Amino acid sequence: MSSEKVLLKIEGLHASVEEKNILKGLGLEIKPGEVHAIMGPNGAGKSTMGYVLSGREGYSVESGSAVLDGVELLELDAEERARAGLFLAFQYPVEIPGVSNLEFMKASVDAQREARGEESLSSAAFLKLAKEACKQVDLPLAFLKRGVNEGFSGGEKKRNEIMQMLLLKPKLCILDESDSGLDIDALQVVADGVNSQRSPDRSFIVVTHYQRLLDYIKPDYVHVFSDGKIVRSGDASLAHELEAQGYAWLTDGATETEEKA
Amino acid sequence: MSNWLENAVARADAQAERGSDWLAPKREASLKLLREAKVPTRKTEAWRYTPVRVLDQVNVSDSVTATVKAESIAGLESLDLVFVNGEFDVAQSHSELPAGVSIVRIKNADAAAQIWALNAFSNVKPTRHLFGLVNDVLAADGVLIDVAAGFEVAQPIRIVNLFTKGAEAHTRVLVRLGEGAKAAVVEQFSGNDASFNTGFAEFDVAAEAELEHYRFAMQIDEAISVGGSHFNLGEKSKLNSTLIGFGSNLSRVDIDVTHGGSHAFAKLNVIYLLDGKELFDLHSTIEHAMPHGTTEENVRGIVADRSRVVFNGRIHIHRDAQKTLAELNNRNLLMSDKAEINTKPELEIYADDVKCAHGATVAELDKQALYYMQSRGLTRSQAQVMLNFGFINELVEQMPNEALAEWLRPQLRERFARMEVK
Repeated sequence: MSSEKVLLKIEGLHASVEEKNILKGLGLEIKPGEVHAIMGPNGAGKSTMGYVLSGREGYSVESGSAVLDGVELLELDAEERARAGLFLAFQYPVEIPGVSNLEFMKASVDAQREARGEESLSSAAFLKLAKEACKQVDLPLAFLKRGVNEGFSGGEKKRNEIMQMLLLKPKLCILDESDSGLDIDALQVVADGVNSQRSPDRSFIVVTHYQRLLDYIKPDYVHVFSDGKIVRSGDASLAHELEAQGYAWLTDGATETEEKA
Repeated sequence: MSNWLENAVARADAQAERGSDWLAPKREASLKLLREAKVPTRKTEAWRYTPVRVLDQVNVSDSVTATVKAESIAGLESLDLVFVNGEFDVAQSHSELPAGVSIVRIKNADAAAQIWALNAFSNVKPTRHLFGLVNDVLAADGVLIDVAAGFEVAQPIRIVNLFTKGAEAHTRVLVRLGEGAKAAVVEQFSGNDASFNTGFAEFDVAAEAELEHYRFAMQIDEAISVGGSHFNLGEKSKLNSTLIGFGSNLSRVDIDVTHGGSHAFAKLNVIYLLDGKELFDLHSTIEHAMPHGTTEENVRGIVADRSRVVFNGRIHIHRDAQKTLAELNNRNLLMSDKAEINTKPELEIYADDVKCAHGATVAELDKQALYYMQSRGLTRSQAQVMLNFGFINELVEQMPNEALAEWLRPQLRERFARMEVK
């Protein structure tokens, strides 16, 4: 499954929000087909990474680069990044009353297809795909007609994010705490959705606080974030160590290293 | 120098001299009030933000005739009543009516109809509406719609008002729903050339009756339209009303809902969309005169370019109207810093055991939602159009008549497509 090609390469990324430095020299390399888990204490910059990569307003990049499949993301508008193959499953998906899930997803898929020079799907063809995706994440079909995330429970919102991922078929998916607030059944649904999409040319970044999700989505690598960068990387066993010992032993060390440097 | 108001009074006088009919006593009463009235200025509270001087500049006459077809609405099997430049068009209107419904032109009213109409006319519509008085004295045509107690009219009654260039027209509608009756009434106004119309409708909804009502005030450009829909709700009756407003040189609607019986329910949804230099003015007044009444009023609009909207929403809860539930919400999206919104929700409460809420917001588009949508591949402008549409589509979705909602959506979409963010 390893290949010499790199799908995502982040180098020396410094970014701030409201003049507060959050990312402080982040580097990460992901090959096609790999699953990377990102763990670490609150405030370490895990979610910020997702926002910066996806182009959220208010996050300014001071230096560094992030190249997805040959495309420099950081110079693009948010929609261009999506069209380049990036997908962020939001920690807090936004409610959009009055816009139906189906309409939203059709427009999104059409926009991405158009950007790739493909014809838009017929309504009937898209509806068929959407119904399949909806079933796959175990949401009632009525959710396609409902306003985007409107009145959805926390778990339903997370499953709706996965449904969008299934339809958009991105190259790189960032799951930002897609497990938070989920019961074990919903967790299973989210994990199954992700696992069904694992393929030699699609990669995942799984941001999570808990090792639990990683029992279902087996990562190739685990990275520990602290103070805006990766302080430790390892294989899946690192997640178990973290679960057992917490982060203190890692983050203390990080601070020391930083001071020496 | 004479102005449009003096003109109106002079014409009413001339009309009275030519002879009288059964409505003459009503006209006389209104004419008396009109003689004392003054042309509204910036100092007139009800017209503070809405200048009426365009009325002195527009060249119109009440004798313009034209042949215009009323377009049908796909999927809507309606009983059509068509007015062209204020005159009832027999050929385009339905004459075969279902059981329990009587519809007659005002001029053809028989003795029985005259009696209830004389009692009802201007009883539901408050006399404070200046243009309502103008309509009282000048309306040359109109219909009386009477739905007998206990009858349910399956087909919506659609009143189509068409206007052509240079026309001045005043039409009047009076609707009575007997006890427990059910009906839907659509008031539709169209024609965008320079013209002037007043269209007032009064609805007397008896106990336990249910009225579904739509007013499509969608004339734009040079059309001048001032009118109102006025409701009196009997005990345990229900009103579900939707108003769609586009702006024009002058577009003004007055809505009055009086809870005249206890336990009545009123739902009022309003959408306005304005572009260019258009003006739309809505004044709504809800009178809770009796206890246990409910009002849900949702007013939403999008205002672009240099357009201006005026919304004055008053809820008046009388001393005896205990256990009233009333909510008034006005939400606006401003798409340009040159657009103007004058919103004033007013709650006046004299009863001590009521639940009321009101609020007004003016906002720009939700940045979070825009980012979310862009992160799925939509451009910012695609996301804006979708978000805008969603904002008002929430209310379109609440329209009980699906065919009307389907007819409306593409028109609203098309209007958006032309609205620019500045």
